[in-house]
Amino acid sequence: MTEIRNYTMNFGPQHPAAHGVLRLVLELDGEVIQRADPHVGLLHRATEKLAESKPYNQSIGYMDRLDYVSMMCNEHGYVLAIEKLLGLEPPVRAQYIRVMFDEITRILNHLLWIGAHALDVGAMTMFLYAFREREDLMDCYEAVSGTRMHATYYRPGGVYRDLPESMSRYEPSKWHNEKEVERMNADRQGSLLDFIEAFSDRFPGYVDEYETLLTDNRIWKQRTVGIGVVEPERAIALGFTGPMLRGSGVEWDLRRKQPYEVYDRLDFDIPVGATGDCYDRYLVRMEEMRQSNHIIRQCVAWLRANPGPVMVDNHKVAPPHRETMKRDMESLIHHFKLFTEGYCLPAGEAYAAVEHPKGEFGCYLVSDGANKPYRLKIRAPGFVHISAMDEMVRGHMLADLVAVIGSQDIVFGEVDR
Amino acid sequence: MNLIRSLANLVPFELARGLALTGRKMFARKITIQYPEEKTPKSPRFRGLHALRRYANGEERCIACKLCEAVCPALAITIESEQRADGSRRTTRYEIDLFKCIFCGFCEESCPVDSIVETDILEYHFENRGENILSKEQLLAIGDKHEASIAAARARDAAYR
Amino acid sequence: MTRTVTEIADRLKQLSGEFPGGVDAQVSGLTGELTVEVGAADLIAFVLRLRDDPELRFSQLTDLCGVDYLEYGAEGEAPVPERPARFAVVYHLLSMKHNQRLRLRAYVAGEPPLIATVTDVWPSANWFEREAFDLFGIVFDGHPDLRRLLTDYGFIGHPFRKDFPLIGKVEMRYDPEKKRVVYEPVSIEPRVLVPRVIREEGYGD
Repeated sequence: MTEIRNYTMNFGPQHPAAHGVLRLVLELDGEVIQRADPHVGLLHRATEKLAESKPYNQSIGYMDRLDYVSMMCNEHGYVLAIEKLLGLEPPVRAQYIRVMFDEITRILNHLLWIGAHALDVGAMTMFLYAFREREDLMDCYEAVSGTRMHATYYRPGGVYRDLPESMSRYEPSKWHNEKEVERMNADRQGSLLDFIEAFSDRFPGYVDEYETLLTDNRIWKQRTVGIGVVEPERAIALGFTGPMLRGSGVEWDLRRKQPYEVYDRLDFDIPVGATGDCYDRYLVRMEEMRQSNHIIRQCVAWLRANPGPVMVDNHKVAPPHRETMKRDMESLIHHFKLFTEGYCLPAGEAYAAVEHPKGEFGCYLVSDGANKPYRLKIRAPGFVHISAMDEMVRGHMLADLVAVIGSQDIVFGEVDR
Repeated sequence: MNLIRSLANLVPFELARGLALTGRKMFARKITIQYPEEKTPKSPRFRGLHALRRYANGEERCIACKLCEAVCPALAITIESEQRADGSRRTTRYEIDLFKCIFCGFCEESCPVDSIVETDILEYHFENRGENILSKEQLLAIGDKHEASIAAARARDAAYR
Repeated sequence: MTRTVTEIADRLKQLSGEFPGGVDAQVSGLTGELTVEVGAADLIAFVLRLRDDPELRFSQLTDLCGVDYLEYGAEGEAPVPERPARFAVVYHLLSMKHNQRLRLRAYVAGEPPLIATVTDVWPSANWFEREAFDLFGIVFDGHPDLRRLLTDYGFIGHPFRKDFPLIGKVEMRYDPEKKRVVYEPVSIEPRVLVPRVIREEGYGD
């Protein structure tokens, strides 16, 4: 008579493969998972409750900190909800800038995802390569907003500042002489748009490198093919969105189905998987990076040809230009009013969603007519995906759990909010 | 045909291709920056440690309008003010709690006299409890020390603000 | 065959007779969004109709959240419309077939507020309902695993209710003498620099 013993194991919250602060209570039969119970909330900061105590604009910075690897996309969902209630349409140039930075953010997010996912599964090199490219994109973030991560760049009615005409450059040091520095600065001679274009020329080659390392790699395939399979109908019922849904073969992308900003003017394809396993989700995200790069190139071309305002001219919502504010009494009054009281939204409710790198990021805003939200609900894609964790890993081996967490692309800033 | 493919699969060609790629990278030019002897370029919009600025004649710019205090999302700024003997309003207390600050840049954006700024300083540390709160004197000292670079960065970005 | 938002609203008005509590469907002039209100007693029958009716097919529950209307419009001068209850559960549905969204609101009465779960209709409701229970104390009848989700182990109260203070009720620190973490009544002072105001329409024009 053999004795059967099930183990209950605690995984995390401080575990490198848990992508942050995930605590999982696992019931194991040998190495096979019988039940997984994710405990989340260790990063809960009550962003939604905090937002109720601040004028609308002051919460933009907190949106960055939700999903802290796709900062500007979070801001985008929030400002879209405000704009929807205000009935505000930002200038076309601002819309193009937002789309361009959304796609830059998508690449940033997918790069971190592929780096961390491959590292979990055992490929160290990917992490280093992905961070090399992230560095360039972070420089783009810094050039427009002044910070490499928490940008606070989008505003209701447009974006804070126009794209800079010059880039900061490296300076010679004892490690790199004049000539070497000149080579390092080669892409930094022109404007930010030139810098982004130079990056987008290089980037498809980099994606090829990643694919050389992973796509046909037998170890990678053994770890991901057939793991965490979700059928299309089940994926819809479970509330999956983004690459998790498309990996299961459902062609659903808000950029195409419910276009916001200028996505309806741009040319891009929606990659769709077939089997709904970790490998297909990997392939979908790799193709999304190429498509994002393609969108960025179209935006760069348009932005070059079409200078113009990046903020609405309505001083009830957007502050006046600094020079005007210092000369003109009425502008000064607008400036003071905006930075103290803010602006009031008409009473009502709105739900605005964007195609965030991880799925549908939605903001449900209830306003009672005040200068602060009455209730803000953030619909985070990762929250829904991790709620299906139990179902996805049941019957898999313990090591496959790590592959599933990786392919769900979980970030706890948005799950816990 | 399938048999040939299966036999070919026994040889790990794709692993060899991957190894060849990493091998090439090993001899490629390095992109590493030797911090702190050399640094990556910083944008003129960079938002780092705070400072309070003065006018060229040495008078402090801040007029205690408290816009930055009102606009601070993290409630990191505390201001108290008084009328000075010459009739002008000035702060008696101006504190920034760096543990609360989220470096959003709203204080600089709101300041009508360009007094409070976020400089490009990113290397600073505290050793004792309480040092996270910057007093008015400390903020003015940071401003005095770095006025040249603060003014240069503001001038570079003036057209966009 | 996609349907416009008004066609969906019309279809819902047709169905209204089937539900004793009535169905109120309105398209907002401000945002163009469809909001439906339904009585808590009719909820399950109604959402099954929303999911399975070929002219509706709301196959995905994208979001579910609680709302506490306790202080709604309190700063304004205009009279606040009477509501059936203090709490409401708001469901955001998506019909991929018709490419339409729908907002469904059901008011929840009682203390604790009690409403039927929709986890059997859309499995994605599972964690959303746990979250609403945790933050608002709304109890979902029939939920398979209604535990707290986001707040700390052993947390007392429902933090997103409007009468729960923003600064919280307890704070914790490490006590070097007891050699463990201790909870104490909160010591920070609430600080409001910008008051909440409601301006009448056209203010400042």
